[in-house]
Amino acid sequence: MPRGGWYSVGVVLLFALLPFVYGNHALLFNMMMYLVLAQGINVLFGFTGYLPFGYVGFFGAGAYGASLAILLVHLPPVPALFVGAAVSVLVALLLAPLLRLSGAYFAIASLAASEVVYYIVSNPHLVSLTQGPYGISLAQVYNSGASYATMVVVLAMALAVVVYLRNSHMGLALQAIREEPISAGFAGINVVRERIRAWLLSAALAGLAGGTYAWHVSVFYPKSVFDLNISVFAIVFTLFGGVATLVGPIMGTLLLYGLYNWIGISQPEYFQLVFGIVIVLLVLFLPNGLVSLLRRVKIHVP
Amino acid sequence: MSIRPILRLWLFAGAVLLSTVFAGAAAQAAPVPKAIRIGTLYADSGPFATSSQSQLQGLQFWVNDVNREGGVYVKAYRRKIPVKLITYNDRSSTTTAATLYNQLITQDHVHILAADFGSVLTSVAVPIAQEHKMLLFDQTGTGANFFTPDNPYIVLTSLPTSAEWPYALADFLKAQTQIRRVALLYATNDFTGSQAQTLRRRLQGSHVKLVFDHGVPTSTSSYALLLHNVQAARPDAVIEFGYPNNDIAFLHDLQASGMKFRMVFTIFPGQLFALMKSSVGVQTLAYTYTYPTPPLLVYNKVNYGMGLDRFKEAFRKANGKNPNFLNIAGFNTGLIIQKTLDMAPSLDQLALRRSIVDFSGKLHTLNGTFKIDTATGAQIGETLPVGQFIPGSRGLAVRMLYPPDLATGKPVYPAP
Repeated sequence: MPRGGWYSVGVVLLFALLPFVYGNHALLFNMMMYLVLAQGINVLFGFTGYLPFGYVGFFGAGAYGASLAILLVHLPPVPALFVGAAVSVLVALLLAPLLRLSGAYFAIASLAASEVVYYIVSNPHLVSLTQGPYGISLAQVYNSGASYATMVVVLAMALAVVVYLRNSHMGLALQAIREEPISAGFAGINVVRERIRAWLLSAALAGLAGGTYAWHVSVFYPKSVFDLNISVFAIVFTLFGGVATLVGPIMGTLLLYGLYNWIGISQPEYFQLVFGIVIVLLVLFLPNGLVSLLRRVKIHVP
Repeated sequence: MSIRPILRLWLFAGAVLLSTVFAGAAAQAAPVPKAIRIGTLYADSGPFATSSQSQLQGLQFWVNDVNREGGVYVKAYRRKIPVKLITYNDRSSTTTAATLYNQLITQDHVHILAADFGSVLTSVAVPIAQEHKMLLFDQTGTGANFFTPDNPYIVLTSLPTSAEWPYALADFLKAQTQIRRVALLYATNDFTGSQAQTLRRRLQGSHVKLVFDHGVPTSTSSYALLLHNVQAARPDAVIEFGYPNNDIAFLHDLQASGMKFRMVFTIFPGQLFALMKSSVGVQTLAYTYTYPTPPLLVYNKVNYGMGLDRFKEAFRKANGKNPNFLNIAGFNTGLIIQKTLDMAPSLDQLALRRSIVDFSGKLHTLNGTFKIDTATGAQIGETLPVGQFIPGSRGLAVRMLYPPDLATGKPVYPAP
């Protein structure tokens, strides 16, 4: 078993078995969705240094790609998810020139790009194709159990991708590019190709998550799947846990999304206060995420 | 005649009688809950916060009102039971809302599930309620997608589906012989886009022609350039369908441009009069047209719950402010729940729906006639009339124009 493999198996088993003991399946589903998105951000930001604020654009493209494959081509939901992922990859290919930017410029440009995708999808002149701003209804294929099981599989795929990157030449090459792209190029790494591979891989994960989410909720509007908060949450969870590791985004999502729901349900009046304090403390004392705390006490973090 | 069929008949009748007796005994044996748990969501931040909180305030007012009287009468237990309102904050996020609707159903085991404000936050509740076989009291989620004959677990309580909103407006336009050219400007979302579609469809084949038909993003905050394009089309009437932010921006820019149109229609002055008045001013609203809703519109035929005057007084006393339409919508949801519990022989969710079908069309509240499409659960009774703001010595008053049975006067056309 490669390093981190057992952690991945444990997480997947946890989410496969939790529905038998805990009834709020939507909470578990959303947690898995954010785990996938956090790992997608991790692939891109953790391994290449590109922070995509517009990551939700791929999520929304996947949701719409899968939905339209179901509505227009009458594909069953599971194959339609792969169409959704393919649409996200296509969008990522079109947006690949953004990788020429870096830092804040890339973050803002990716955000603008996701808004462009949103406005194209919700354009009323495309009603016959995308239903425009009027939303999608997949009531005819709604199946919360099957979509939950599919999200478990998508989660397994996302974790497998990160395990692969943590244990492969590609992952090392990407980290070398992140640290020093010019030196990496001199060392024989095809910088452009590797960056684009990570970009497409990350988009595919978001597309799969988006498609599965669309199937699970079955009725949604463009604003719901292109909501900037989805990007922000996924980024915060990733940074909270620690990037370029398998465990960091898992810890970040489980703790922070768990806290988000726990406070939201039990103490909603303290939500902003508690969440704000946690994030301020993190930025001040653990800028590299929770995993840095573990490393300080000599715990190996896969 | 053979004796066997008679014997069989008696056996069958005996079996039915026994099962009825046992079922009755079982129902009586079921413990009476300490409270009827009603679960709903609200948003304290995000784009739906203002509307959502107003709606919740109306529902909360109803809860306090029935609890003061010892609770709500529940026919299934033949007694009054206090009501407990369980609320969670979804912060206008559909993802969070989905989790919280599930929380209400699976962890809090609510008896009654009511949706948050509007179509976006209701959309995620529809499949969840259907999956858990919970009847969703959809308060103001008017998306036509939600209502299908194969889903009996939804009822729209306080507004008609958005595609039906412009019925009276279209008929009003067709009835005006001076109006031949209409400009239609709408925000491209489900709520206003479906209204634009209906208006287009209902004006087809009439003497009224759409000379300008343009959709803008819901985020539009400047209409100055669009107004010039509208003016160039020389319309007799300008119809603008938008959310409150669109209506405010449109009316602001109209005032600032100095342009005059013979008729201007916007949606939200009729629903959020105080907000619109403070945002755009009395002068801008004067002689414009709208869909008046309670409290601007008074339904005199009320056979269930408080009438409008009594409600306004009690609400003011409890909350220190005048109610708006969304307060009334929330309160009206409470009344529908109250009547449902009063009528339903059990708390089985389909029994609740059946009892709603039974009183549909017979219930007249301060929000109008409650009548649902019995196949889909969509609201078809609470129609939206057309009215015009007329300035007077005591500020703006609404003159009802259409349909004729609600009319209180003739339109001032063209607007001065």
